[in-house]
Amino acid sequence: MDLNVALLAPIFIIQLILMVVALVDISRIHATKGPKWAWVLVIIFVNTIGPIIYFIFGRKND
Amino acid sequence: MMQSLRALLYKEWLDIVRSYKLLWMPLLFIFLGISDPLTNYYMEDIFNAVGNMPEGFSMTFPDMTAETILLASTNQFQSIGLSVLVATTASMISRERQNGQGILLYVRPVSTVQIFLSKWIVASALAIFSSLVGYAASLYYTILLYGTVDAVGAIQMMATYSLWLMIVCAICLLCSAAFSTAVAICVAIVCVPIGVMVDQLFGTYWHYSPYKLATYGAEFLTKTSTYFMATCMLSISILIVCIVLGIFFTKKNRQRVKSEADR
Repeated sequence: MDLNVALLAPIFIIQLILMVVALVDISRIHATKGPKWAWVLVIIFVNTIGPIIYFIFGRKND
Repeated sequence: MMQSLRALLYKEWLDIVRSYKLLWMPLLFIFLGISDPLTNYYMEDIFNAVGNMPEGFSMTFPDMTAETILLASTNQFQSIGLSVLVATTASMISRERQNGQGILLYVRPVSTVQIFLSKWIVASALAIFSSLVGYAASLYYTILLYGTVDAVGAIQMMATYSLWLMIVCAICLLCSAAFSTAVAICVAIVCVPIGVMVDQLFGTYWHYSPYKLATYGAEFLTKTSTYFMATCMLSISILIVCIVLGIFFTKKNRQRVKSEADR
């Protein structure tokens, strides 16, 4: 069991880092493409790929 | 000359730091790299948990060797990794041109060669760094769960993949220099991730194509492909052509943007 936790921990850590960074960024950013609350839902509920989709398509680069 | 290139490289570096690319791109490749060794390792448990198998049902799984796992990781990079890479890289020049940032850069006395090369160097450095950490994570899990692989072969595999990523970045930037963002992303997606798919479907009929670089790279773990050197040479010439064409289109659009601003 301990081995399984050790093996799978990196996946959860990666997902956690991506989610936290995306949420911190969305709280600071002025405006996103499309409504902010929708992006928050995407970031929280779509595993791994959600934060990345936000970083690619959601941020307004100015 | 060198100073302005350094300034441009610094500008691109700031861009990938501020847009968090430097953080999420390596994380994505690590995720893709470790997903295959782990899913194959837990395949039996996954089937038991969700499969709803009848009593006494047994299924034999093919014996996964370390080499097949690394090839599977390479295929993950080739599909999801490349699509994401293309979507971000193919807007690097056109976005600047469209939102007006470009004009601030274009009126300065920096050469177009430097503008293009600075973007290409930073984009491919980020892509190569991401793929290297991804491969490192995949190798770590593969060696842990399936046994060792040939160290020289692994280094050759990563070097070959780096060359492929340089070509991908050059193609994306060429599209970005020539077309508007939306068109550039479409053309680049057709050229790179869909091109890889087509090559995987029909690729048995030819041996020399840059799309095969990643496969030949993964083959280094077991043997040296006879077609590798010629493919490598062909790929390098395609890379050079893409860079030259990219510089040409950047120059053309730079003049157009400048003349529009003068009016």
